[in-house]
Amino acid sequence: MKLSTRTVFPFLLAALCLVGLPDSGRAQDTEPPPAQLPPEGRVQITVEDNQRAKMRLAYPAPRRPVSASPQLASAADELDATLRNDLRLTGVFSLQGPRELAGLRLSGDRANDFEQYRSLGNEMVLLVETKVDGARLVLEGSLYDLGSREAILRKRYVAGTELARQMAHTLSDEIVLYMTGVRGIARTSLAFTSDRDGDGIKELYLMDYDGYGQRKMSGHRSLSFSPAWAANGEGLAYVSYYSGEGASLYWVDRETGRKSPILEETAQALSPTTSPDGRRIAFARSLRGNLEIFTIDRDGAGLKRLTRSGGIDTNPAWSPRGNQLAFTSSRNGSPQIYVMDLEGKNIRRISFQSKYNDGAAWDPDARYLIYASRTRDGRRFDIVKVDVETGEQATLTAAPGSHEAPTFSPDGRFIAYESDRSGRKQIYIMTADGEPVAQLTNGSSNFGPSWSGYFDE
Amino acid sequence: MSVRRLPFAVLAALLVFSFACNKPVPPEPPVPAPEPVVTPEPPKPVEVTRPEPTPEKDPVIDPLDDDLLIAQQYAEENGLLGTVYFEFDRSELSPAARERLAKNAAFLKENDKFVVTIEGHCDERGTSEYNLALGERRSNAALDYVTELGVPSSRIRTISYGEERGACAESSESCWGKNRRAYFRLTGRN
Repeated sequence: MKLSTRTVFPFLLAALCLVGLPDSGRAQDTEPPPAQLPPEGRVQITVEDNQRAKMRLAYPAPRRPVSASPQLASAADELDATLRNDLRLTGVFSLQGPRELAGLRLSGDRANDFEQYRSLGNEMVLLVETKVDGARLVLEGSLYDLGSREAILRKRYVAGTELARQMAHTLSDEIVLYMTGVRGIARTSLAFTSDRDGDGIKELYLMDYDGYGQRKMSGHRSLSFSPAWAANGEGLAYVSYYSGEGASLYWVDRETGRKSPILEETAQALSPTTSPDGRRIAFARSLRGNLEIFTIDRDGAGLKRLTRSGGIDTNPAWSPRGNQLAFTSSRNGSPQIYVMDLEGKNIRRISFQSKYNDGAAWDPDARYLIYASRTRDGRRFDIVKVDVETGEQATLTAAPGSHEAPTFSPDGRFIAYESDRSGRKQIYIMTADGEPVAQLTNGSSNFGPSWSGYFDE
Repeated sequence: MSVRRLPFAVLAALLVFSFACNKPVPPEPPVPAPEPVVTPEPPKPVEVTRPEPTPEKDPVIDPLDDDLLIAQQYAEENGLLGTVYFEFDRSELSPAARERLAKNAAFLKENDKFVVTIEGHCDERGTSEYNLALGERRSNAALDYVTELGVPSSRIRTISYGEERGACAESSESCWGKNRRAYFRLTGRN
């Protein structure tokens, strides 16, 4: 955390120079986008037709410097592999790589080569060149429409070799933004809990959205869990038992890595969620064993009680618009999902299908809630998505395995969740309509993900 | 054994044989002589060390006055303090649970120096977050009952571990049953 926040992000901003490529004989790509792309260069990817809407993209092996140090060469390899994985994970493209393109007769003549790519059904080609600038790595990426043979997008980045992955993520995000009109998520990250430190210890960890760069955040050598990012990326709230007073609330600042108590008291404080502006925390606080929802400032001021019921009220989720909380309550006998405003008024029940629902999370447009719903046989949980207005419901996961703790990506196109389908709990991602995408963790038990917002806004 | 004995037998036979042959040679004491020299030495230090540690401390210490872990172990082994178990998804006390809690309360009243933490635990079948809430309910159900029976609440703390500190790791009915519990841990003395 410390390293990534202090050095990588500011450095990235400074080091990645987004410059147009001075292409010989052709002007900058300010001209209108090619014919098959809708106006404003956007392809509308909707949940229903995202399979059909996948663009067929050729991404041949990048051009490389002939003489590069081993360090630069391996950074270029890493960049290529990262970008390829990023583009695959976007779900926007059907990708053809070096292997699929191996049979083509490429001559170096652009018109001929583009025809060759097109002959395999590709609509676009991404040409990438990695170069050396002193000790630094240069990435030049150009996306071409194979119909018009026009460049759609050109980007150039320069950075140290240790930022090879970040350079690839940045280019991928730009391409996704161009194709969908929504920023890509390749530079977001996920906080989660892991028992990899052994001895019954559970620590908070952070990883890149693709599962790389897993690093410890908490280091309390105690029980620490329930990370809850602020959507603005300032930091996250979490629960730790390390003070010896049981479950207390803490905040960790992303920039500095500094941890500070939000609330340390003998009453247990559990299941935090952070307001979109990062200023207030909603959480469950035990009053003689009965959990009620409270809100509190990040510095521990302004404690406010929202619920008053004889049942358990817990696990709140702050809506992305900031004006509502979804939460779990057993007020009617079994745990169900409800929504209320920030005064604890206008309480409305959302879940009806199962006798046990928990772990609500909002999509960034506040249209859907996703949560874990116990199956009818009582043996496992599936992730369920409900339209908050219409009540329309879809089950996104299936056997084998029990799936819980869903969290939306900041673009709303993906869901991360925990599942024990391969034995121990691991973190997976799927599309917002339940198509499997990737397993991000393995080994020890890893669970309870919280997807960050965008960091540089 | 037989291998070891063999040279001795041979030696004895040789001795008999030598006595039979050379009568005038009487003493061969240099062989037994070193033996008594070796043997008297070790018993002396043993005798010196034995009397000192034995009589004083061991029987005097009440295990309940010892280290908290020793006290805990003693109380559990003698049925003075015990764990309360719960039904699936529930935090209500069964008759068996009340019976157990009555014994726990009697122990805590009799030994009013102890501070106890009641830990609420769950099996793995709920969600992690809701299990923390359920564990909190369980620990407090136990707390309410023992305070009703006269244990001052100032000496009791509660904590919920949800499903994060299972007593048993398998996914089986018997294991789940062991994990749905309120555990009494001696955590301090007044």
